[in-house]
Amino acid sequence: MTIENDSPAVLRDNAEVAAALGRRYEAGFVTDIETDSLPPGLSEDIVRQLSALKGEPEWMTDWRLKAYRHWLTMPMPNWAKLNIAPIDFQAISYYASPKNKPKSLDEVDPKLLETYDKLGVPLHERAKLAGVAVDAVFDSVSVGTTFRKELAEAGVIFCSMSEAIREHSELVQKYLGSVVPTGDNYFAALNSAVFSDGSFVFIPKGVRCPMELSTYFRINAGHTGQFERTLIIAEEGAYVSYLEGCTAPMRDENQLHAAVVELVALEQAQIKYSTVQNWYPGDEEGRGGIYNFVTKRGDCRGDDSKISWTQVETGSAITWKYPSCVLRGDRSVGEFYSVALTHHRQQADTGTKMIHQGKGTRSKIVSKGISAGRSSNSYRGLVKMEKGAEGARNYTQCDSLLIGKKCGAHTFPYMEVKNPTAIVEHEATTSKISDDQLFYCRSRGIGEEDAVSMIVDGFCKQVFRELPMEFAVEAKKLLEISLEGAVG
Amino acid sequence: MLKIENLHARVEGKDILKGLTLTVKPGEVHAIMGPNGAGKSTLGNVLSGREGYEVTAGSVLFEGRDLLALEPEERAAAGLFLAFQYPVEIPGVNNTYFLRAALNAQRKQRGQGELDSMQFLKLVREKLKIMQISDELLHRAVNEGFSGGEKKRNEIFQMAVLEPKLAILDETDSGLDIDALKQVAQGVNALRSPDRAFLVITHYQRLLDYIEPDFVHVLADGRIVESGDKSLALKLEEHGYAWVAERDPALANEARA
Amino acid sequence: MNRSPAPMPFIDALREAGDLRLPGSGLAWLDAARSENLEAFMAAGLPDTRAEAWKYTALRALGQRRFALGDADAATHPVDPHALALPGIDGPRLVFVNGVFRADLSKLEALPPGLSLQPLSRVLANDPEPLRFALSRQYREAGDAFARLNAALAGDGMVLRVAPGVRVGKPIHLCFAGAPAQGDVAWHLRNVIELGEGAELDLVEHHLATAQHKHLSTLVSEIVARDGAKLQHTLLQNVAEECTLIRRGSVRLGAKAQVMLHVLELGGALVRHDLHAELHGDEARFDTRGVFVLRGRQHVDTQLSIHHQALNTASESIWRGVADERARGVFRGAIVVAQGADGSDASLNNKNLLLSPLAEIDTKPELEIYADEVKAAHGATVGQLDERALFYLRSRGLPQAEARALLTAAFCRAVFSALPNETLRDHFSSALLAHLP
Repeated sequence: MTIENDSPAVLRDNAEVAAALGRRYEAGFVTDIETDSLPPGLSEDIVRQLSALKGEPEWMTDWRLKAYRHWLTMPMPNWAKLNIAPIDFQAISYYASPKNKPKSLDEVDPKLLETYDKLGVPLHERAKLAGVAVDAVFDSVSVGTTFRKELAEAGVIFCSMSEAIREHSELVQKYLGSVVPTGDNYFAALNSAVFSDGSFVFIPKGVRCPMELSTYFRINAGHTGQFERTLIIAEEGAYVSYLEGCTAPMRDENQLHAAVVELVALEQAQIKYSTVQNWYPGDEEGRGGIYNFVTKRGDCRGDDSKISWTQVETGSAITWKYPSCVLRGDRSVGEFYSVALTHHRQQADTGTKMIHQGKGTRSKIVSKGISAGRSSNSYRGLVKMEKGAEGARNYTQCDSLLIGKKCGAHTFPYMEVKNPTAIVEHEATTSKISDDQLFYCRSRGIGEEDAVSMIVDGFCKQVFRELPMEFAVEAKKLLEISLEGAVG
Repeated sequence: MLKIENLHARVEGKDILKGLTLTVKPGEVHAIMGPNGAGKSTLGNVLSGREGYEVTAGSVLFEGRDLLALEPEERAAAGLFLAFQYPVEIPGVNNTYFLRAALNAQRKQRGQGELDSMQFLKLVREKLKIMQISDELLHRAVNEGFSGGEKKRNEIFQMAVLEPKLAILDETDSGLDIDALKQVAQGVNALRSPDRAFLVITHYQRLLDYIEPDFVHVLADGRIVESGDKSLALKLEEHGYAWVAERDPALANEARA
Repeated sequence: MNRSPAPMPFIDALREAGDLRLPGSGLAWLDAARSENLEAFMAAGLPDTRAEAWKYTALRALGQRRFALGDADAATHPVDPHALALPGIDGPRLVFVNGVFRADLSKLEALPPGLSLQPLSRVLANDPEPLRFALSRQYREAGDAFARLNAALAGDGMVLRVAPGVRVGKPIHLCFAGAPAQGDVAWHLRNVIELGEGAELDLVEHHLATAQHKHLSTLVSEIVARDGAKLQHTLLQNVAEECTLIRRGSVRLGAKAQVMLHVLELGGALVRHDLHAELHGDEARFDTRGVFVLRGRQHVDTQLSIHHQALNTASESIWRGVADERARGVFRGAIVVAQGADGSDASLNNKNLLLSPLAEIDTKPELEIYADEVKAAHGATVGQLDERALFYLRSRGLPQAEARALLTAAFCRAVFSALPNETLRDHFSSALLAHLP
């Protein structure tokens, strides 16, 4: 092969990338707080202990054990595009909780409140985010939920999963695992066995949730995994917009985050689920960082329902997630808007599945991948038109942007069509920030880094538009920080 | 203001500029004319600092500073503006947002305070009036889906907002019909002032009917081979570029070889 | 979890066949390569749908069938040479019937200088050494089962060489015919094609049947186009409705080499077509135009993969698929741009028509990009005929079926507009129309 690897541009890129100290990870601090945790290791006994610690009813313990036994029979998946160091599941602690469990937000350890303040998510009464109710999950447990009273008046249940299992057992029993069965995949099975907490949302029939709901996930303790479980149910005609944010301290080890999110939309219900994922991505050499293996699935169970996923993924050493929609109800709608940015040695394999079963179902997929450094960024998606999907439609657009010569950007869309009235359309492009665009900006006085983030922001516009305002601003900032040192 | 001396430049290993010398004073309008391949666009690109253009000899002073040592954005902040022959599209980046970012970046470099969005909007309104541009253009992404004429007018509009000391118009007339050409020229003329200079690069004389130059230079084979006043442009129009070659024995020899 | 493999009559038949006498048997290196590949194939069996490359094509039914190895009467089946002819093609011709070279049907006299064209069996008998490399390849991927089987059992095929700088004027006609025989027969063929530097060749590959049969054939074709070579390769696949055809073509392009491939797939009950191109030299160009039109219970799986490995290489692929009745069309189109292959320009466009509630289309365009100075794009759609156009034609008096056929043919035909041989292009059109239900 006659390839000039050492062109001046490449050398310059390397030198300058090396010179830059890599990204700032602003959420990388550790909170010094006393923690109760289970010893590392996984066994039926640990599952039982975990369930007992949380005071769960028997059916829940049995449910977990069933999942655990199933998990034991499953092989660890082997993904083509990801390089994963073997995970020692016996070295992980499956439960870590701040020692003094508060009864209400007023009793929360000040150190914890301070942590969330620092992350820009104030929980105490005086500084609560206007119009956004927050459930804060610290390591394995929820440490507090804001605006409970206001929500209760509207009939909305928004609480930690642990509380829901105790207080709303019937609802949980009815819906938990109904979208993502315990044996769905390796990590979903593991999650079902050991999930510690998460958020539960129930919007009753005809209610439009009066404010944005939000969960803020924080991994703090070392050698732990976070396995949260989120369940959102929107009854007939209900509407909810839900946001989740995630951060973790900088640590040399890889930590596992294996969440399961289940959404259920009944007739004419709408669920909008937004994620800004900023788990610690590891350093420039790929040391440390979160393994983010997440199963997210929405079930448009009723006619005319709608589920919309929006995600901005900048963190994690490895991301593996495919927020999906099962479009069962007639005329139901699924949407997926995604920005995934990888830098240094990050690997992201993300995308969506749109399973069209009902008549006249529609789905739209907009995916923007940005790869820099030595990272690898793949879109993997499935659009399936089943026999009953009369007149169903899908439109997919996947664009990739490469920054630098050592990264990879890949697109793997699967289209399976069994209905002759369905229409599926897919388009994808790969490009880099053109020298012309950069020069144009610079000749107008805009510095190179600013020009790059401006162009990247423009590239992501279609997705940012789907985020609630505050999140859009945060997402843009995150992108800028994540790209620091990416351009020479 | 601008002093180019014996400038030599090459692109992809090929010598394009071969000893160009030119001096521009504040308030002056210089037209650079020449046949295709003479090095006209190379001149604009070298002055504004595009990558891939290697200066092999000579110097360029801009208000006494070594222009060639500056990064493109520093040149912009120093007061240099290039109106591109082919303005690039930047999808998703709002035109107004872009322009405000540019203006504030330049002001910051110059140690001036940044304009907030209200102040900026006021400025834009004023300039829009001069340029007769509809504000609909402002809400679109930079150059995206613009017609040829819209792109060129947008360039002149940016110039109006950024208020450079020296503006280089690189074949701004190319691809314009006569009405669009007039509009662009009108915008340029509105921006003429005693402290602002223009370098108008063009292949055709017709632009100079609307933007009247103080000096006309003929660029051929990387050098200025003929300078004069406005009448030189008319002579060129009449006789074509072959006439220049005939008058310059060195060029004629090269052409024969 | 290891499960003991299900009994596979397909493999049993091979095992029972015992020692085989193939052309070239007795050559130590060839015997070794063949037995190694056969063992590898038998050990792994046929791939199942868990192998990514076979995700949409199940081979369970094939695994339950038995095929006799070779047809003893292949050399003597009466075949009308006119049935083999293609309009507009009158150059040298090489004909195989049920996998056996037929000198009586071929035209190999008066070959132009610089062109060497021989059946593989003859080369193996006379001068096998130059083929040593090509015939002792190892196949290691899980999806490579049939390449192994072919490497183990291929005894004939075409060996074609064009000397550097030679432009072969007339198209070469390569004809593979299937004919009814005693029971179901399997045969395996291999082509080795090399275009020297700056050589030019027009190759027409034609797969057809003299009458219905249920045979299995595999063909592995390896093409090398050296620097500056130009190949115009046209493939018309119109095999028997109930037969199985597994074809694998790979082409390697040197600097500034250009290959244009046209494919029309019409026949076969189960057809698998792997097309692999490596753009190995700077400024190489590889273009493909393909159409499959399926009806009945046909299952046609096309796997296209194009690897850009050098500077300023280009590829453009345009494919159309039609599935009617109970047919299933599978398409994968992968573009890979290697690190450092700057200036690559790659595009792939795949559009499909799904015409019946029992038909299915599965398509998977892929981009795998490791270089940043590239232009790469793909698009894929699955849909139906334009209702308005259909209505327009019917309102002008065309019966529904005819209007549908007309629009379907139009959907496909545009793909062949770059086919230089006009007569052949017309023949493609009529073959396509004839195949529509």
